[in-house]
Amino acid sequence: MNSLLAAQALLLAGAAVSLLPMRNGWRAAAGLASQAIAMLLVLGVALPVVFGAAPLQGEQAWAHPVGTLKVRLDALGAFFLAWSLPMTLLGSVYAVGYLRRYFGSERHVGVHYALLNMTALSFVLVYTGDHALVFLLGWEIAALAAWLLVIWDYPNQKVRFAGFNYLVSTHIGLIFLVSAFMILYTHSGSWELESFGRWLRDNPGAERNLVFLLLLTSCGLKSAFFPFHSWLPRAHAAAPAHVSALMSGVIHKAGLYALVRFVLLIGRPDEWMGWFLIGFSLLSAVIGALYTAGQRDLKRLLGYSSTENVGIAGLGFGVGCLGLAWGNATLTGVGFAGGLLHVLNHAFFKCQLFYAAGSVYQATHTVDIEKLGGLARLMPWTALAFVLGGVAISALPPLNGFTSEFLIYSGLFTGQAVPAWAKVALAGTAAGLAFVGAVSALSITRAFGVVFLGVPRDASIETPQEVCRWMLAPTMLHAAGVVVLGVAPVLGLAMVEGAASLALADLPAGAAMDIHQPLRELSATLARIGAISAALALAIALLWWLRSRLGGGPAPQHVTWGCGYTAPNSRMQYTGSSFSWDFSQRFRGLIVLLRRQHAPEGYFPKDAYLISDCVDAVERRLFAVIKHGDESATDLSRRLKEDDPRLAFAAALVAVVLISGLIVLAGGPLK
Amino acid sequence: MTLVLVLAAHVLAVLAMPIVLVGLVNRTKSWWAGRRGPKVSQSFWDLLRLLRKQPVFSAVTTPLFRAGAWAVLASSLLAAQIAPIFGALAPLQFSHDFIVFGYVLGLGRIFLMLSAMDVGSSFEGMGTAREASFTAFIEPALFLLVGTAALGSGQTSFAGAIGLFQGSAAYPWLVVPAVLVLFVLLQAEAARVPVDDPLTHLELTMIHEVMVLDHSGPDLAAMQYAAAVKLTMYAGLIAALLNPVDTMADPVRGVAVSVLLMAAVAVAVGCVESLVARLRMRLVPRYLVLATVLAAGSLGVAGWIAGGGA
Repeated sequence: MNSLLAAQALLLAGAAVSLLPMRNGWRAAAGLASQAIAMLLVLGVALPVVFGAAPLQGEQAWAHPVGTLKVRLDALGAFFLAWSLPMTLLGSVYAVGYLRRYFGSERHVGVHYALLNMTALSFVLVYTGDHALVFLLGWEIAALAAWLLVIWDYPNQKVRFAGFNYLVSTHIGLIFLVSAFMILYTHSGSWELESFGRWLRDNPGAERNLVFLLLLTSCGLKSAFFPFHSWLPRAHAAAPAHVSALMSGVIHKAGLYALVRFVLLIGRPDEWMGWFLIGFSLLSAVIGALYTAGQRDLKRLLGYSSTENVGIAGLGFGVGCLGLAWGNATLTGVGFAGGLLHVLNHAFFKCQLFYAAGSVYQATHTVDIEKLGGLARLMPWTALAFVLGGVAISALPPLNGFTSEFLIYSGLFTGQAVPAWAKVALAGTAAGLAFVGAVSALSITRAFGVVFLGVPRDASIETPQEVCRWMLAPTMLHAAGVVVLGVAPVLGLAMVEGAASLALADLPAGAAMDIHQPLRELSATLARIGAISAALALAIALLWWLRSRLGGGPAPQHVTWGCGYTAPNSRMQYTGSSFSWDFSQRFRGLIVLLRRQHAPEGYFPKDAYLISDCVDAVERRLFAVIKHGDESATDLSRRLKEDDPRLAFAAALVAVVLISGLIVLAGGPLK
Repeated sequence: MTLVLVLAAHVLAVLAMPIVLVGLVNRTKSWWAGRRGPKVSQSFWDLLRLLRKQPVFSAVTTPLFRAGAWAVLASSLLAAQIAPIFGALAPLQFSHDFIVFGYVLGLGRIFLMLSAMDVGSSFEGMGTAREASFTAFIEPALFLLVGTAALGSGQTSFAGAIGLFQGSAAYPWLVVPAVLVLFVLLQAEAARVPVDDPLTHLELTMIHEVMVLDHSGPDLAAMQYAAAVKLTMYAGLIAALLNPVDTMADPVRGVAVSVLLMAAVAVAVGCVESLVARLRMRLVPRYLVLATVLAAGSLGVAGWIAGGGA
């Protein structure tokens, strides 16, 4: 417990030191050093808890009205801490390379590092707080720090807009969270999550359902589930690459943490909660995937794929909820283990993809995929990182994304004795997940194929070079994690086992005689998957090696086959929008495609262009609704003639009826 | 012992049947066209000829291009070890192995698509875009189909679900839709008419063939063989669904009937190719979605029957 406190103090001190007047390099060093030591301190206590040690508890007296501050580090929180802090540190290392231009300038880079420290601090607070106010404090620190990190390039108006958009959304989420906490507080009379849990366990009914929906909305806004994702594409496109990476991979996982935490507090959720979560998550996954297909901006594309992947993790949690509701140990284990493992895997490959995208931006100063091309030969390491991340995010073996999706699929195709209609619904969900997988393979092929393969499309972009080692090292470390977790998924499962057993412990005694039995079965399955993945990877590598050895000298090279046309140029390559247009336009009801064109005319055509883009339907709809509401309110007030005394009398009458009705209603159930 | 022999037969069939089935398809097509046609083993000699040739690579390719064809081949061969072609058994069989089957094929496909994008050609980009989007429409069908079979047979492995589906109450109702769905999956995965035409020689109208335009020599051989392995695999799945003989009880007859059924599927593919024109490109997704809807309907019926509705 003391090392947690020491880590928090160290992070604060590091943040303060990095604000001091000294050279930018020293400020960054102060931030990095304090973060590294704090991380080691926290890991020293968190890792034993992840792997099965008893949870840590501590309390601290505090002034009224807060009361005793309780801190509790159990397997779930420890699991999130165990990768959040190291990944934040890697992001801060990446920032050294990404912001290197500013180190010699007047710009105060220390603020950025102080904010990264605060982000790490918020993780310690959120993942260990057993007191609602500590939890909210951490939640809020994370939100504010993320906002300030996003607007690093604040002189740009678009970046400021994206930042405020994010700030507003995250605070709307906070309102939902606070309302849920207030309901829980009025019933339990305490700010401790444990007493919230006691009330939630014992009082199923309308109010618990309301609390569940409020929490789900809040988590949805935090983790960018559809339709609460509208802040996400803008924020991810505007932020520096490491901030996008941390937001998508690490910071917003707090929403999923809160979701799992409250499901565990509920203990035995109603069946509808599981189904609702599955439906909500599948919607996010499908719509998020459809949006990735049409994006022009590489970072927006990756942002939408976060919506897709939180949906996939949510499917796992939904299956776990159903398992809890039905008292089925196997489903509970596979659902929560699969969902949590996907959270970990997503953190690995999503950060990696954002880092690779940031390297592209550093080298070319653009992330518009229509302008890029042929980067693989100029930036081989970045290309390797992107393609590994891409294969992982499409959930293909032999990389880590496959292992967690396999668990979620095996929950959806359960062989357990559940009602036939439930099996049909779950298998239908699995078919939706298969569609999502195919669409994300499409988007990744498109993004990697257009940006890294072929030849450069735009001569105005200077010849890019591979980025510096400060940026490559974190990227390749993530890539190594993606490979290792792919061929040895048992390691990942070992990390989530403790957290999944928390859910299994909620099952009524008797349903699971030995609560670790389902997890042991999963471990055996995953070991087999890992072996197959490793064999596949080795086979491909071996064939490739044999092929290059037996090739018999360097093969002759020639131009790409152009169907007899002898003067092809780089602008004739297939573009990103031509790649996805045919697919995306079949889903016009769900996504908004813009297309402006001016076709060539006459014998000597000039000035022809074609612009196509895919914009967010929710955001457009939101503004359309506001406009519509405003117009109809104006229209109504014009038609009502507000100075008419009859209107005032009628309104007063309605008000009296309403108030007396409310009084009667409020008096009713109390007696 | 029987098990080992049948599994050895499986591996052998997966390696040899691709040649035979492609030969049978071509033979059927020539029969419809009134020609004698090439020998059934002709594609073997074609592959051998390609293997001896020196490849030519496009100057813009990266090392990924050289790995592409071999990754496609390796993943097709791995998937073929999971697909039950002789009934309720396969060399690789475990709970939920069909997910591995689907996603290993997905790995092969992404390598195929990336090596096509690697040459920077608009034609190959076009083929890749078609392959990627058509896959999205047909991919759910496989999972819905296996879900149907799993619900009917109460099994969670691919071989168990497909091979033991015959014993379930839903089988008489669903065998025809299931075979149809598998047949469409075969046409989509192995690039056959009406989804794709392996013989068309107009780059604008191809899917699979346009993606391998720049492959030559041994790499082209690997690509073509991998496509033939996929054809075998799906033909084998149809055979496993229809084969009335329990291969474990009577291995010789079981294997023989399965091989004959696969040959019949190849003849059916050849007949369809001779009698039907390739669909217009914008109609292909509708054809594929139709198969997916059929599979979803089968799943619903299987659930209704399993729930005691019938």
